[in-house]
Amino acid sequence: MNQMTSRFAPSAAACAVPAIAFDKIRLDLGGKCVVDDLSFSVAPGEFACVVGPSGCGKTTLLRLVTGLLSPTRGTVHRLGAFVGGPSPDVAIVFQDYGRALLPWRTAAGNVALALEAMGTPRLERAARAAALLDKVGLAGHGDKYPAQMSGGMQQRVQIARCLAQEPRILLMDEPFGALDALTRQALQDEIAMLVRDSGATALFVTHDLDEAIYLGDRVFALQANPGRLAQVIDVALPRPRDQLGTREQPEFLRLRHVLFDHVQNTH
Amino acid sequence: MNNWLLRAGSILLTSVVLLLWQLVTATGLVRPIFMPTPAATFVDLWRGLTQGDLLALTMSTMQRMIFGWLLASLGGVLLGALIGLSSRARYWLSPTLELLRPLPASTLLPVGIALFGLHPQMLLGIIAFGAIWPVLLPTIHGFSSIEPRLREVAKTLRIGPLAFALKFGLPNALPDIIAGMRLSLTACLIITVVGEMITAQQGLGSTIIMAARSFRSTDLYAGIVLLGVVGAANNALLGLLEIGLTPWRTART
Amino acid sequence: MSRTRIDPVLRALPAWLVPLAMLAVTEFAMRASGIESDGLARPSEVATALLGLIGNGEIVLRTAETIGAVTIGVAVGGTLGLLLGVWMGLSPTAARLASLTVELVRPIPPVAIIPLMMLIYGLGIKMEAAIIAFACFWPMLLLSRDAVLGVEPQLIEVSRMLGLPRRQQITKIALPAALPRIFAALRLTLGIALIVAVTTEIAANPIGIGYAIISAGLSLRPEVMYAFLFWLAILGWLLNTGLVAMHQHLFGAAYGEAPR
Ligand SMILES: Nc1ncnc2c1ncn2[C@@H]1O[C@H](COP(=O)(O)OP(=O)(O)OP(=O)(O)O)[C@@H](O)[C@H]1O
Ligand SMILES: [Mg+2]
Repeated sequence: MNQMTSRFAPSAAACAVPAIAFDKIRLDLGGKCVVDDLSFSVAPGEFACVVGPSGCGKTTLLRLVTGLLSPTRGTVHRLGAFVGGPSPDVAIVFQDYGRALLPWRTAAGNVALALEAMGTPRLERAARAAALLDKVGLAGHGDKYPAQMSGGMQQRVQIARCLAQEPRILLMDEPFGALDALTRQALQDEIAMLVRDSGATALFVTHDLDEAIYLGDRVFALQANPGRLAQVIDVALPRPRDQLGTREQPEFLRLRHVLFDHVQNTH
Repeated sequence: MNNWLLRAGSILLTSVVLLLWQLVTATGLVRPIFMPTPAATFVDLWRGLTQGDLLALTMSTMQRMIFGWLLASLGGVLLGALIGLSSRARYWLSPTLELLRPLPASTLLPVGIALFGLHPQMLLGIIAFGAIWPVLLPTIHGFSSIEPRLREVAKTLRIGPLAFALKFGLPNALPDIIAGMRLSLTACLIITVVGEMITAQQGLGSTIIMAARSFRSTDLYAGIVLLGVVGAANNALLGLLEIGLTPWRTART
Repeated sequence: MSRTRIDPVLRALPAWLVPLAMLAVTEFAMRASGIESDGLARPSEVATALLGLIGNGEIVLRTAETIGAVTIGVAVGGTLGLLLGVWMGLSPTAARLASLTVELVRPIPPVAIIPLMMLIYGLGIKMEAAIIAFACFWPMLLLSRDAVLGVEPQLIEVSRMLGLPRRQQITKIALPAALPRIFAALRLTLGIALIVAVTTEIAANPIGIGYAIISAGLSLRPEVMYAFLFWLAILGWLLNTGLVAMHQHLFGAAYGEAPR
């Protein structure tokens, strides 16, 4: 169970240890059962998407993976280890980028926060932060404050901050929900590439069924009241994917049909 | 150009006010004992500053004010951070703070005199203690109003309590702290002046009340003008501090 | 049933034990140590003194003096400030023209005016009211100016679209829209007035609650001093709470929550 192997070579043997594993999870919040009997696992290096109606527990699911929340019953495992709390191996991109960035730090300063938390030597931080901003397409914007940036740029800063952690698991909670269509598509392609390059496992929550199919290797469809797994769809579309070609493929359209039918039935 | 015209107009208006002051006093419409001419006031002010001890008095008032203010700010920020970061401390202390809040800081003077007598240190202590409230309450608010999402960011990055206080709490509270320090400096000036009036310790406060008691109205007016200058300098100082310390609030695209 | 349903007032109740406990500890410690000081008094002595002051009517007299000066001062200074402030809000040109004069006079701390008013009016309620008026004029001026300036520009546009004459634009749109913030300014100003009144009384003027506090302190009757202090805290709290409630009552339905 050498974790380094699983990271760079998702061989059949390493896949025996899933990156994320939920085992019969139940969670009660404020006297209400929010998630019930939820079991699934995500393989290392996999890009998994989660869709489902509003309030079905998608955010809650991510928070269970981060360790910000603990299940009432059942166990969550991360990289083969029991989840006791947040770990530097796990990074999360929040939907509300406006609130998740420190308004008093510049873009570079926000990225550097993660480096500080990781104990990166002071002298290396500036160069590392600049390189990360470069990676998410923000070269030259390092000294802007969040209030001086557009929504897409702010979300890019948040992504850069998460990449700074060099996480083995990257969680994203409707990261592009508040962005316009063009920015959204650009960021979809960027995130697909960044995740692929880093070799991280991704768990991506979205409202947008097309986005889920476009990005995912698998799509988990949840059902509400209480939140549980309704359907799992394998996406066998070739990579790299592209906005026009992939979306026109018959397989894409077929999956889209399946998912839409499912959503209609469960609503 | 319109802008320029308005600025010129506002200077003109001030000159008119000064001229009116000169007119009503020089013609004897108002008794000079109540209101000396502006010319006499400024001559007296100039002489007091260059030859008399007005400069030294101003310095001693300002020294008291600034020392008290620094003590109050330091105490207020440290205490406010401790209370603001702990929801338990906030819960248990807020009714007590709510009860003490409406008391004017100047009421501490009689209490301080009754408890400790008329020491110079007593006055400084009272200035600091009285001016702590305007810093303390906004600081508590600033440290306790951190965006919940940022708390989660800190948790996922596993940032320790001290680093959290310094990197999240302090910057979040800084605008509130500066606003509080502004009020606190005003309070310091007021308590200093009143304190000097009551305890007759060297300073502008005791000087102007003595001037009034002995009907030296030009000295009185000169003192008031100086206190106005101190007040204006305070405002300017805090304005600079605000721009310097919270650049993210003043920087806009 | 659930804990979140419990009224917030009820939930804060245990924390009110803290000041009570502090009083009890002071009482006990002072009794146990038998300490005698010119600056300290046992809470029970303070309570007795307070009852005495209520009984002989002194507290009513002192409060009436302070409140009287506050009322006159706010009426004069507040009204002047309000009128000029609204005018400056309605006419940006007037505001710009007055700006330098305002910036030159406003920084003068109100307590610096105490000796001047002593010189002009002697001691008594008149000089105190004059100082309060000076102190209240500035915040009222600036806050009511900002209140009028802060009126939603769309509302003004609506009134112009309706073709209302300028006078009615002001009386029907601008002023009603600025009213809650003007009321909030009045609340703040009253708070300042009370502070300035008590401060003037402590510094020089032998009337009112402030004088009662300092003369009790100087004549070595600490229990009376603390009784008046306690009463002053209650008075300030009542004033603020009452005005907040009034704000809620007047504007709550139409304008929403009162700023604290
Ligand atoms: N702290 C809490 N206390 C009580 N109930 C909660 C709490 N947090 C979430 N819930 C409930 O849990 C359920 C799932 O919430 P969650 O935020 O995970 O939904 P979601 O799928 O992310 O919804 P959305 O798509 O709107 O973001 C909701 O019904 C919500 O009301
Ligand atoms: Mg959600």
